[in-house]
Amino acid sequence: MFLTRSEYDRGVNTFSPEGRLFQVEYAIEAIKLGSTAIGICTNEGVVLAVEKRITSPLMVPSSVEKIVEVDKHIGCATSGLMADARTLIERARVECQNHWFVYNERMSIESCAQAVSTLAIQFGDSGDSDGAAAMSRPFGVAILFAGVENKKPQLWHMDPSGTFVRHSAKAIGSGSEGAQQNLQDTFTAEMSLNEAIDLCLNTLKQVMEEKLSSTNVEVMTMTAEKEYYMFSKQEVEEHISNLA
Amino acid sequence: MSNLGIEQFPDYQVPGVSHADFSPYESNGGSIVAIAGEDFVVIAADTRLSSGYNIHTRKQSKLFPLSNQTVLASTGCWCDTLSLTGLMKLRMQNYEHTHLKTMTTDAVAQMLSIIMYNRRFFPYYVSNILAGIDKDGKGVVFSYDPIGHCERATYRAGGTAGALLQPVLDNQIGYKNMNLHGEDAPEVTKERAVAVASDTFISAAERDIYTGDSVLINIITKDGIETQELQLRQD
Repeated sequence: MFLTRSEYDRGVNTFSPEGRLFQVEYAIEAIKLGSTAIGICTNEGVVLAVEKRITSPLMVPSSVEKIVEVDKHIGCATSGLMADARTLIERARVECQNHWFVYNERMSIESCAQAVSTLAIQFGDSGDSDGAAAMSRPFGVAILFAGVENKKPQLWHMDPSGTFVRHSAKAIGSGSEGAQQNLQDTFTAEMSLNEAIDLCLNTLKQVMEEKLSSTNVEVMTMTAEKEYYMFSKQEVEEHISNLA
Repeated sequence: MSNLGIEQFPDYQVPGVSHADFSPYESNGGSIVAIAGEDFVVIAADTRLSSGYNIHTRKQSKLFPLSNQTVLASTGCWCDTLSLTGLMKLRMQNYEHTHLKTMTTDAVAQMLSIIMYNRRFFPYYVSNILAGIDKDGKGVVFSYDPIGHCERATYRAGGTAGALLQPVLDNQIGYKNMNLHGEDAPEVTKERAVAVASDTFISAAERDIYTGDSVLINIITKDGIETQELQLRQD
């Protein structure tokens, strides 16, 4: 593997003779070391569920935040390098607030993803022109954007190459391959939000190494009525106990 | 010093000294009126462009359609109007490309306020009224001061005869200080809005030398913009 990739994986601005950017591909590989995150979009709303890796009993689980609010109508689940994720989320928040300030309206989910993508692909910039510091590598983060626009829910996925695509259901992180297959087999466009929450948790249960519990999983829903809504520990517990 | 024959004058009184003033602004005149109804909005502007006692042209539209739901009327320093409306069109085109939709009237209103305030200390010398259909399908008018303060209203007059026209609108459209015998003020119809707007211009042309020649009237509904023209006195 590494023999064939030779020296073309050093610079982020150099294509290999086969036309590949290895550093970006490595960054996409880095996501597969991250914790699993799942998003499902139904007609009622979007659900995001993520696994939290609590590596020590001395860790405070609530301090591991994998689902965050970007604006009232946009929430994000991240997988990969959390420090990188913070930078991207910060940009998403700033762009949403700026859009509200200038246009007195909510930013669309696609525009928000576009804005974050613009930052994500700046790893190739030399950075001396406008004062922005040069980046050394791509962001090692994949993001799921859940939002409501004109009362309709949307789910978008962005990877380290800056590519963003709208999905009905998407899994990222270490268990993503198995999880995505499970979503493909089970997802229907007609499913209710509650069914989607159960499907998320069931899928996480299958791909997680640890036993699924209310301490190592975060669940958030995005609906037209309640918008960004993070589940409490009790609510997560209820849903887990109701699983088959 | 006086014994030398050199008198000490304050700087501004020295005979023969001329000062080069920086005066980048000019008032090119013109008046604008907008009246909003339930599902329409009427916006009108005269077509005279002048400078002191000289008339540059008798047929310059001061109405700028920004989308098929939004029209901006702008008077004051004509070069500032051109610069501002040019920037507005550019920003709206940009928005359409980045966000894949046309800007709503409410969004345009907020953006205009910010564009104006960006020039807080060297303002665009313009009187702006923005009219359009809002996101709920209602007619709406936004008026601005030269540094970007924005107010949502149902009717407004602006420009050189703004102070002359506004009280007429207050009376005829706002029914201010009218005895309605306990009844609600009647809702303004499209025909009445056009008639009142036309009449205010005919009156303004009598007293304001910067307003005259003709009026262009835009009627905005959800189906688009309809244009009418009315001749005014040309002296």
